[in-house]
Amino acid sequence: MKCGFCGRTLPPPDKLRQKPCGACLGGCRKIHCPWCGYENPMVPGLLRRWRKKDNSKEND
Amino acid sequence: MAVQSEVCPAERKIVLVGNPNVGKSVLFNALTGAYTVVSNYPGTSVEVSRGCCEIEGVSYEVLDTPGMYSLLPITEEERVAREILLKESAHTVVHVIDARNLERMLPMTLQLVEAGLPVVLLINILDEAERRGMHIDIPLLQEKLGIPVIGGAMARKRGLSELRQAIASYNPDVKAVFGYSHELEKDLAKVSRHLTDDYTLVPRSIALLLLQKDEDAWALIKKAEPSRLEAIEKAVNDTIYERRMDLNLRISLERKRICRAILEEVIHQQADRAPTFFEKLAAWTINPWTGFPLLLLVLYFGIYVFVGKFGAGTLVDLLEGGLFEDYINPWVIDLVQKMTSWYWLRELLVGEYGVFTLGVRYAVALVLPIVGTFFLAFSIMEDVGYFPRLAMLVDRIFKKIGLNGRAVIPMVLGFGCDTMATMVTRTLETVRERIIVTLLLALAVPCSAQLGVIMGLLSEVPGALPVWVACVTLVFLAVGFLSARLLPGERPMFYMELPPMRLPQARNVLIKTVSRMQWYFLEIFPLFIFASVLLWAGKMTGALNGLVRVMAPAISALGLPAKTTAAFIFGFFRRDFGAAGLYDMHAQGLLSPRQLTVAAVTMTLFVPCIAQFLMMKKERGWKVSLGIFMMVTLLAFGVGWGLNLVLGFTGWLA
Repeated sequence: MKCGFCGRTLPPPDKLRQKPCGACLGGCRKIHCPWCGYENPMVPGLLRRWRKKDNSKEND
Repeated sequence: MAVQSEVCPAERKIVLVGNPNVGKSVLFNALTGAYTVVSNYPGTSVEVSRGCCEIEGVSYEVLDTPGMYSLLPITEEERVAREILLKESAHTVVHVIDARNLERMLPMTLQLVEAGLPVVLLINILDEAERRGMHIDIPLLQEKLGIPVIGGAMARKRGLSELRQAIASYNPDVKAVFGYSHELEKDLAKVSRHLTDDYTLVPRSIALLLLQKDEDAWALIKKAEPSRLEAIEKAVNDTIYERRMDLNLRISLERKRICRAILEEVIHQQADRAPTFFEKLAAWTINPWTGFPLLLLVLYFGIYVFVGKFGAGTLVDLLEGGLFEDYINPWVIDLVQKMTSWYWLRELLVGEYGVFTLGVRYAVALVLPIVGTFFLAFSIMEDVGYFPRLAMLVDRIFKKIGLNGRAVIPMVLGFGCDTMATMVTRTLETVRERIIVTLLLALAVPCSAQLGVIMGLLSEVPGALPVWVACVTLVFLAVGFLSARLLPGERPMFYMELPPMRLPQARNVLIKTVSRMQWYFLEIFPLFIFASVLLWAGKMTGALNGLVRVMAPAISALGLPAKTTAAFIFGFFRRDFGAAGLYDMHAQGLLSPRQLTVAAVTMTLFVPCIAQFLMMKKERGWKVSLGIFMMVTLLAFGVGWGLNLVLGFTGWLA
C-alpha cells in the first residue's frame, strides 16, 4: 500500500512501529506514514485477502 | 538467521539497494537464479534474501535489501537495509533506480557515493522511459557521477550482461566527491576532523548523519570514541546553533541542487512529445491562477454536489426518510411498546433520546451515508495524488499565518479526524507551529463526519453554504494571522517531493473507502449509543433540563430555540453527532434558514469533541489546551452572535 500523501510504499502494519493515540475503541485502525505522518486507513483482513487473491490472478 | 555459508562460499558480496518497486527483486532473481535463502534479519521481522552467483569465474553472495528511500532510516526496513550496508562490507553496492523517476531517486545515489560505498548505478525500467519519449545519456551521467552507470530493463534481462561486467571490473579505489555549498562544507569539516576511528562510512558521511541527528550514528560514535564524544557533540551543537535552521532540510536542498546540475544535459525529452493530460493537470494544480479555480471545482463537484446533494440529500432521504421513518421505526416502536409497559425502558429504547430512535438512527441513517460519500470523494482525490499539490498551492497562504505547506498534512487529516490530526502536529518542526495548528484544528477545521453532515444540511438551503464557508474561512485566516504575529518564533521553510498524478484506480479507491467506513462505523456506533444513554439519563433525572437552562442565555443570544442546546451537548460527544442533531431539527422544521446557518457556524467553531480535547491536553498540556478551549468557545459564540446580528440586519437568509 502506498501513502495517500507522499506516495511512498508503506511498510506492512505489523512491521510498523506507530504510537496510537488511544482515543478509538478497539484500537487504532489507521496507519501513519513514517515519512510524512499522513493517516492512511488500515485495510481490514477480508479486503486484504481479496486484494491478495486479485493480485495473484493478475499475475497468472 | 541465514549465514553466508548456508548460501554459498563466496568471498565477495553484492548488495542491492533502492526504493521499493524499482526492480531489485527481479535483478536479484536474474543474478542468482533459483537457489536463494529468505530469512529474517537478526533481531527483526524484516526479510532479507540471499543468493549466490558467479561472474567471470568469481563467486559472489547477493543480498536483496528491503526498500529504502534514504540513508537516514525512518522505518525498520530502512534501518535493516542500512545496517546491511554498514556491516556486510560489500564488494559492490548496486543502487537500482527507476529511469522514469531519476530526479527523485538520484539523491540517494549521492548519499551512497559520499558514504564511500562502492556503488554501481543501475537505471532500470529504461524501456518504459524510452516509450515515454525520454532519452538518458548514460555515458555522460557516468562521467558526471564518477561511478559505473548501467541502463537496463531487468524484466527483459536488458543490461544484465553489462551490469555483470561492471561488477567484475569494479575498481573500488576510484571515489567521486560532490561538493556542497561552501558553508555546509565548512560545517562538515568542522565535525569530521574530530572523527578519528576507522568507520565503514567515510568521516564526511558520518558528519552528515550526526548533523541530521541520526540516532544510530550517535550510538556508533559513543561506542567508537567515547573520549572524543564531548568535542564531537560541541562541534555538532555549535553548528546547529550557528545555522539556526533545519539541517535535514538544508542538506536535502543541497543534494537536490547537485542532482539537478548532474541531470542537466543528461535527460532529453523528445521535443515533439506533447505532455500527457496528467502532466498538464499536475502543473495546473500548483499554479495559483489555475490551482484555486480547480480547487473550487473539486469542492463544488466533489463535496457540494456529490456529498451534499447526493449523499446527504438522496441517500439520507432514502435511508432516513424512506427506510427508517416508514418501515423500521414504526415496527420497532410498536414492538417495544408491546413488550414493556415501563416508561423508563420505552424511553431508553425508543424515546426522544432512545438507543434506537437516536443512536442507531443517527449512526446508520443520517451519518453513515454522508460520511460514506465523503470518504469516496476523499479516496478519489487521494488516489489521484491531489493532496500533496494542494499542500504546495496553499503554502503561500499558510506562510501568511505563520505556517507552511507541511502544516497542510494535519489540516487535511483534520478533515478526517481532528483528534489524530492534533497528534500529528508533533511532525511539525517548531512548538509555535504546533500550537497554531492545534488552535486552528480545534476552532475552524470540521472533521469529515461533521463536514459531511453540515454540507448536506446547508446545501438544501439556498445561500446558507456560502455564508458558512465565508465565516469559517475568515475566522481561520484571521485567527491564524493574529496568532502568527502574537506567538514568537521562527518560520520554517517547506520542502516536499511531489509524487506523480495518475488516474484513480477503482480497486484502490474502493478498498480505502470501505476501510475508512468500517473504521468509522466501528468507532462511532458505540459512542452514539453511549451518548444516547447519557442523554436519556439526563432527561430522566432532570440534569439535561438544568444544563439547557444554564446555556439558555447564550443560545437565545444566538437567536436559536432552546432545543438547540441538546445538539450543542451532542456536539461535545462527537462533532458529527451535534451536526446530526441540527439535521434532525431542520428536518422537523424547527429551524429557520437564518437559525440553521448561525447554529452550523457556531457548532463548527465550537469546542472540539471530548477525544480531541483530551488529545490537546496530552500533546500541549493543561495550560495551553484549556486556553485554547476557552478561546474557541468564546470565539464560536461571539462569531455566532455577530452573524445572527448581521443576518438580521441585512435580511439575508430571512
